[in-house]
Amino acid sequence: MTWTMTQRQRLAAEHQILQNEGFTQFGVYHYATYDSYNASGTATTSSGRNYQLFCIIPPGYPTERPSLYITDPKPLLNYHGAAISGLGVSHAMHTLEPHSAGWVQICHWRSARWHAGIVLQKVFLKAMLWLEAYEQHLATGRDLADFVGTMQEAA
Amino acid sequence: MSNGDQRSMIREAMQSIAQRKPGKSKLVYDKTKRTIVAVSEGVTTAKALNITADDADMFGVVTLSSGWLREKWPHLTKIGSIPVNFSSWDDGDALTQLELCIQGSGTQAPATLVFGQQQGSPPEGMVISITPTDKPTHRADVFVSPDNIAYRAELFESGEPAVDRREVVFADIEPQLDLRRAGILETTILKDRTVLCIGLGTGGAHVAVELAKSGVGHFMLVDRDRLSVGNVVRHPGGISQVGRAKVNVTRDLILEKNPNAQVDVHAVDVSFENREMIAGLVQAADLVVCGTDNRQSKLLINELCVSANKPAVYGGAFRRAYGGQILRVRPKESPCQQCFVSALPEEASDVEVSSQDDADAIAYSDRPVAVEPGLSLDVLPIATQLAKLALLELLADKSSTLNVLKRDFDAPWYLWLNRPEPGTQYAEMPPLSESRDEMTINRWYGIYFERDEQCPVCGDFLAGFAAAYGIDPSQLPALPEKD
Ligand SMILES: [Zn+2]
Repeated sequence: MTWTMTQRQRLAAEHQILQNEGFTQFGVYHYATYDSYNASGTATTSSGRNYQLFCIIPPGYPTERPSLYITDPKPLLNYHGAAISGLGVSHAMHTLEPHSAGWVQICHWRSARWHAGIVLQKVFLKAMLWLEAYEQHLATGRDLADFVGTMQEAA
Repeated sequence: MSNGDQRSMIREAMQSIAQRKPGKSKLVYDKTKRTIVAVSEGVTTAKALNITADDADMFGVVTLSSGWLREKWPHLTKIGSIPVNFSSWDDGDALTQLELCIQGSGTQAPATLVFGQQQGSPPEGMVISITPTDKPTHRADVFVSPDNIAYRAELFESGEPAVDRREVVFADIEPQLDLRRAGILETTILKDRTVLCIGLGTGGAHVAVELAKSGVGHFMLVDRDRLSVGNVVRHPGGISQVGRAKVNVTRDLILEKNPNAQVDVHAVDVSFENREMIAGLVQAADLVVCGTDNRQSKLLINELCVSANKPAVYGGAFRRAYGGQILRVRPKESPCQQCFVSALPEEASDVEVSSQDDADAIAYSDRPVAVEPGLSLDVLPIATQLAKLALLELLADKSSTLNVLKRDFDAPWYLWLNRPEPGTQYAEMPPLSESRDEMTINRWYGIYFERDEQCPVCGDFLAGFAAAYGIDPSQLPALPEKD
């Protein structure tokens, strides 16, 4: 996979947007060894808990949707103490197919709703909303979907 | 009257009747002789029953390929006879040379083609003898050889003229098809054009077949699905084709309409995994026709078309096909799919859910969405318009009878409504007969919207980011490295 100049410029701009918009806990990183990219960082919820977010930039980006995972805590448990990754694709939990490493994949935009106009800053914003909802779920046992609704998807 | 005269009069009369044209002779049933006889036209015969074209519409037809015969001609004239195989339809009512058949009847009838009158003992079975004729050459039953001599053919069985009369005709595919299109469509231009058809559901397959009828010469077909029983009520492919890949079903339908078309098939998914392969197909096409229902594949195709600078037309039905829309994209000139999605996210997302895959793409898999396909009747107006817009793109600036339409079809986006669907913004449309200015069903609306100059696909997205987020595109620092 070789990245086009347009893709590289886009990713550089995405990093800059994160920095300019106050999302400095996140960044877009280049891995020289594989010439691959990811966006990652630590999200802190209103309760002060930390979560590691890891977003894999796919070769078709930005037309192709990037996947966003929670890599820590692992396993991420639900109210009942079960690993959320074990639930797979779940509407109630707003999750997609977990990573083979056992990371929970957050449904930020479904593939059918994703488009190249959505910036990574919005993806991280969604992830942070998900984490707030997740903590509400832990506190009440109610479905995560009860707190994020349909997760407004229009960018 | 000699038997020979009577026989030729009967033949002449039968052919006149078969062609539903007046002839010198007519056929009657002689009640006294209890046999059919030919009499001169105008002669009234008291004890006879006139035979009409409907009564006589029972000649079998044997169809030979002119192209094949021209190719075999040197061999045939040298050797004297060659085998020829027919697909036998309707209990032998029509024998169509296999070389002409895209799909055979399943029953084959072998014969021997003989140059000149049969010499010596006749071969077994059917013999078709080719002899010179002085009939005019435009007739379907006359073959003009490469050395420019007119021939006709006659069928014999076991050395005798066939008991069941069969007319032997020659099919010269290309000139005969072109003749019907000439004057409206620039067949020589379309013959050289290549169309990439992605998504061969009801709409996509219909568009491909319409383009084939219009004389488009090269097709590349992409769809990973197979034809299912449930598809048959809408898809041009029929029940005999169930289980076959839609690309193959559609290829055969195209070849049935344009046997000289070149059709490449790719039974693959339109997904990012196949991006490179699909990019190659886009590069080789003059136009891309996209009939896929899901937004991801549309956006992928859009990106590939914009970067290859290829025009594309996208068509789709709304849910339960209450209507549909078409987007025509001329890269960097008119709005692209991404511009459309950014400008009109709702309009861009109201799609028909016509297959389980579409439903799955919309739903989380633990919350199924119902498959709600519309009627074929409601999909076809969209497919027809899509095909017309595709032809306009293919003819581009070449002079064409269709050029007058360029004035009418200059909007990027077209909307069609089949019914005032409850629960939609079109529910309260006035009846068709009462409306002058308001929207109604059954009309095409061309809608203008602006291309997004800062579109992430077709525009200058960096300028857009600069404006929205205050970043300086010329001063972007290198990304932090990790290993
Ligand atoms: Zn665009």
